[in-house]
Amino acid sequence: MLKLTLKGLFAHKLRFALTALAVMLGVSFLSGTLVLTDTIKRTFDELFADVNKGTDAYVRSSEKLDSHLGTIRPRIPASLISEIAKSEGVARQHGSPVAQGQLQLSAQLVGKSGEPVGDPGQGAPTLGFIWDDFRQLSPWKLDTGRAPRADDEVVIDKGSADKTGYKVGDKVQILTQVAPAKYRVVGIAKFGRADSPGGASVTLFTREQAQTIARARNQFDGIAVGGQAGVSQADLVKRIRSSIDLPKIQVITGAELTKENQNEIQKSLSFFNTFLLIFALVALFVSCFIIFNTFSIVVAQRTKEMALLRAIGASGRQVMSSVLGESLVVGFLASVAGLGVGIVLAGGLKALLGSFGIDIPAGGTVLNTRTVVVALLVGTVVTVASAIAPSLRASVVPPIAAMRASALEGTESPSLLSGLSRSTKIILGVLVAIFVPGGVIILLIAWLSRKVSWLGRVALGLVVLTLGAAAILVGLFGGRIALVGVGAVVVFVGIALLGPVIARRTSRLLGSKPVAMFVLFAGALMTLAFGLATVASLVQSALALFGGKIGTALALAAAAAAAAVLAAACVNLVVAARAAFRVEGRLGTQNAERNPNRTASTAAALMIGVALVALITILASSTKASIGATIDKAFRADYIVAPKAGGFGGSGFSPELATAVKALPEIQTATGLRFGTAELDGKSKFLISADPKALNELFDLQPANTTAFENLGPDQIAVSKRIAKEKGWKVGDTVKARFPNGGTTDLTVAAKFGVGQQGGLSDYFVSLDTFSRNYPEQFDVQVYAKLKPGVSLAAGKLAMDRVVKPYANAKVEDQAGFKAKQEQSIDQFVNLIYALLFLAVIIAGIGIANTLALSIVERTREIGLLRAVGMTRSQLKSTIRWEAVIIALLGTVLGLVIGLVFGWAIVRALSDQGINKFAPPGAQLVVIVLIAALLAVLFAYFPARRAARLDVLKAISTE
Amino acid sequence: MTSVASDPRSAPTKVAARAVNASKIYGSGEAEVRALDGISVEFADCAFTAIMGPSGSGKSTLLHCLAGLDRVTGGQIFLGDVEMSSANEKQLTLIRRDRIGFVFQAFNLIPTLDAEENITLPMALAGRKPDKEWFDTVVRTVGLADRLHHRPSELSGGQQQRVAVARALASKPDLIFADEPTGNLDSHAGAEILGFMRRAVDDFRQTIVMVTHDPVAASYADRVVFLADGKIVDEMLDPTADLVLDRLKNFGE
Ligand SMILES: Nc1ncnc2c1ncn2[C@@H]1O[C@H](COP(=O)(O)OP(=O)(O)OP(=O)(O)O)[C@@H](O)[C@H]1O
Ligand SMILES: [Mg+2]
Repeated sequence: MLKLTLKGLFAHKLRFALTALAVMLGVSFLSGTLVLTDTIKRTFDELFADVNKGTDAYVRSSEKLDSHLGTIRPRIPASLISEIAKSEGVARQHGSPVAQGQLQLSAQLVGKSGEPVGDPGQGAPTLGFIWDDFRQLSPWKLDTGRAPRADDEVVIDKGSADKTGYKVGDKVQILTQVAPAKYRVVGIAKFGRADSPGGASVTLFTREQAQTIARARNQFDGIAVGGQAGVSQADLVKRIRSSIDLPKIQVITGAELTKENQNEIQKSLSFFNTFLLIFALVALFVSCFIIFNTFSIVVAQRTKEMALLRAIGASGRQVMSSVLGESLVVGFLASVAGLGVGIVLAGGLKALLGSFGIDIPAGGTVLNTRTVVVALLVGTVVTVASAIAPSLRASVVPPIAAMRASALEGTESPSLLSGLSRSTKIILGVLVAIFVPGGVIILLIAWLSRKVSWLGRVALGLVVLTLGAAAILVGLFGGRIALVGVGAVVVFVGIALLGPVIARRTSRLLGSKPVAMFVLFAGALMTLAFGLATVASLVQSALALFGGKIGTALALAAAAAAAAVLAAACVNLVVAARAAFRVEGRLGTQNAERNPNRTASTAAALMIGVALVALITILASSTKASIGATIDKAFRADYIVAPKAGGFGGSGFSPELATAVKALPEIQTATGLRFGTAELDGKSKFLISADPKALNELFDLQPANTTAFENLGPDQIAVSKRIAKEKGWKVGDTVKARFPNGGTTDLTVAAKFGVGQQGGLSDYFVSLDTFSRNYPEQFDVQVYAKLKPGVSLAAGKLAMDRVVKPYANAKVEDQAGFKAKQEQSIDQFVNLIYALLFLAVIIAGIGIANTLALSIVERTREIGLLRAVGMTRSQLKSTIRWEAVIIALLGTVLGLVIGLVFGWAIVRALSDQGINKFAPPGAQLVVIVLIAALLAVLFAYFPARRAARLDVLKAISTE
Repeated sequence: MTSVASDPRSAPTKVAARAVNASKIYGSGEAEVRALDGISVEFADCAFTAIMGPSGSGKSTLLHCLAGLDRVTGGQIFLGDVEMSSANEKQLTLIRRDRIGFVFQAFNLIPTLDAEENITLPMALAGRKPDKEWFDTVVRTVGLADRLHHRPSELSGGQQQRVAVARALASKPDLIFADEPTGNLDSHAGAEILGFMRRAVDDFRQTIVMVTHDPVAASYADRVVFLADGKIVDEMLDPTADLVLDRLKNFGE
């Protein structure tokens, strides 16, 4: 039987290849994601091991505050060094103890042409450190030049030096929380063996200068200590601990520090890892549909062969295990291939993220055993699980089917459970309980699709759909995210159940003339616009990725290729649509209709991808509309100074900028806006700070009592009305607060305002003096300004531009520009998601090609007959293309509906996060439909060509 | 394209199709099979010709080559005045669509199309409207008027063959080729089909070339051509079933 299985596999190379392709793609994204995240982890692990190599003990504050940026600890007095020096075991160098005070600050280099280096908002951080006196403690090694000795001297990392072209002796502008200043580069250093630590841009100052910038005259973030040879880290820590008598000081070993750093970065990357993994799972889920579909078709096509086997004495179980065996072999081999592709894909993923500004350092590729096991296991299990239902169907093929003329077209397949023995039923039950949800879902659908009449199926589908929708609604309004997820899966199952019925009833509609007409005209119109846009964006991204001449050449080549492919696809779509008016269209439509199960599960794969794309599109446009509405309603400022890079992240400007703007004679009011994290009432919260009086003039927060808000003083806090109501806080109550600078502060609730987080800002507001006292660094993330009456906008902008000029990372925007920039940063994120969903859509496209190719095999005689009575090759191709378009439109329209429903539900759920406008973008959704149709035509290319090349005579005479 | 100019009725002995020294060789060397071995034969216009011969004698091959479904490896095939061997794939397709009708032994119909759609398929493919009057005549002749909107799966084997005959007639082709059209039918249904074909020649002046193994079927023809080993070995005008049977027995000896 095994021999038969293998023979069957290799005898049908096409079938084998198509199934394997679907499995492979699903597995490759998964393994690519695992490889990439492992590689990133290893890179960071090695990085921190390097950083802390010489550190045997580390002294720091024992207080800590968890924020979205990681753990923050208050600074410690510099005088601790002399206490540490007293303890035994501390190494000495030229008579001084090897103990180095460390400070980390934000410092951004400005390039030669005035552009800021790095993007602390999303990509590589821009940091400043103290140049360590002790070589033993420093990961830095001078490549050229010398250490900084004077306050205006700095060493920069080799990575940034190479990027900007700065050399020893050059003057550089550096942006910090104090006014922008010029420094002289006296050295260029490498970080261990790397040019820069994890791609960050780093400036190394003298200790004095670093402390000046940090406004930490006698303070450090921590002190690294080197021990004498022969003294263990634990001993050293013990001795240092005993020689320090300050409270709230913690001493840990270098090894502990490294472990902690590694864990922390892992934690901050976990969001990112999960993010990628979700897309990998989506791709896998979509592949499940394809795999299932392929096996179903293959089993249907082999009904006669299996019946013959049964007739000559094979048991049902043997037939079933032959199909399962085939799936096992295919699944395993394809998983191995997928793993290989995944390793390559990991590099591609990294490049993709990089082109979206997410620059992650990743050294040599890491392939963990776990990745191999997971990839092979998941790929194989998913394939075998997807083949269970088809194999069961195969096992109950009655021997008599061998005598029937054609078992292919018959809709009456044997009932699934009738021919099974008790033990098989039990095994089935166990399998159902064990296998992954995707497999189970598919199994269920397959089972139901055979057992239930269409009415029953509609009823069941509606019930399941309603249950799922109910779960989503309960989850959304009850704040249970897990329930929403479960509901979503249930809804998918419901739709999959309804799919075949919908497919049967709607493919006629989709194939009707008005629809064809629409596709025809819209397609023709879109050809030009869409082609141009794609080419333009390709050129752009190639330039961004590679830069320079190679980039231009690549871009042009890519653009030309893309334009050619697109033009061909568009022309074919138009031809296919035109065919819809003729007999080709009718045949295509009827072919899509004749096997609704097949059409539905092929479309379902695309549906998932489209639903997610539509959902993201809708959420993005709703978010943009909401932000736009807030800006329109609340903004009273004429100009906003905002970071060029767009993101909020760590970028910002020295408060000097706001001061300078305010001092301009053209300006009436101005204030900087600072963002921070604090622990309020025991929970980490995001808060904002500004000059309350000025802010009230520039941004309408709708304070309950204007005077109280404008006069907000030190140790007072203003909270949004919503939070006040939720927490039961009244004016005069106190709130316990912990800030990065340490200690616990009692803040008095002094004012309430209307526009909280819902309006796009925050529910908590403190005045600038409260903020500066409690945060180590002062950066204005935005500066709002209003002109004096009578000053023209142009004159005001001119004056502001002059003041802003030294701040290379800042840009003056009017309201419209500011709005556009917010939208831009959302678009960028959305584009990244599109790129990641692209694979799922491609897999769905391959599914369409797969189904068509297999259906063509099945209809060989019919195609031969059509060709014999005079159908030309191009007519035949049109027929197949039109069938593809119908499947695609079915999937897309269903996907859009799901996307709209989910989009609406999520926007409703997010209304207290500031997204309160449901704004589905009509034009974009239409574009999605057209793109799906185009994709279908592209993927129908090979099946159509194959069919057209069939030898007419051989085709007619096939069995 | 060529013969349309003259009225076929004024020249009853006009040739609808002919093979000139046609040969078809499969494989090469040891495995060489001469399916057609230099055949020259003419098929008169408005006549019903049957081709007979033992299994493997090349009947289907000859039919396929005449019908533009296959190409000869040597010699020439003419449809009217058009030389088929010099036509390209697309031209052959259009010739089949516009000038030739087919009836196969089985699997004659597209399962997704109903009877009417199947009948008018070649015209639909050409983007032509069927001639309503002619269509009605054909449908009435084969007795399908009440079955027009049934799909093939809802028709009996005999009815399916009738639809196939109707399709072959509906586009008024220059020639209709039938390869064992009654091979799958019982004698009653077979006789019906053969009757229709006979009427198509007598009443509608169609030209039919039919391959058959059945002497009774052959007796409906005006002329029988006998094939053996890829060659024409004999022919008979105005055949009867008994005469044909006798002749076939002679082959066996
Ligand atoms: N594609 C092919 N490749 C090789 N040989 C072929 C091929 N098609 C037909 N032949 C050979 O050509 C010869 C004639 O075949 P053909 O089908 O014309 O016979 P036939 O007279 O129609 O027989 P039957 O009455 O059994 O249908 C046979 O010997 C057959 O084996
Ligand atoms: Mg034959």
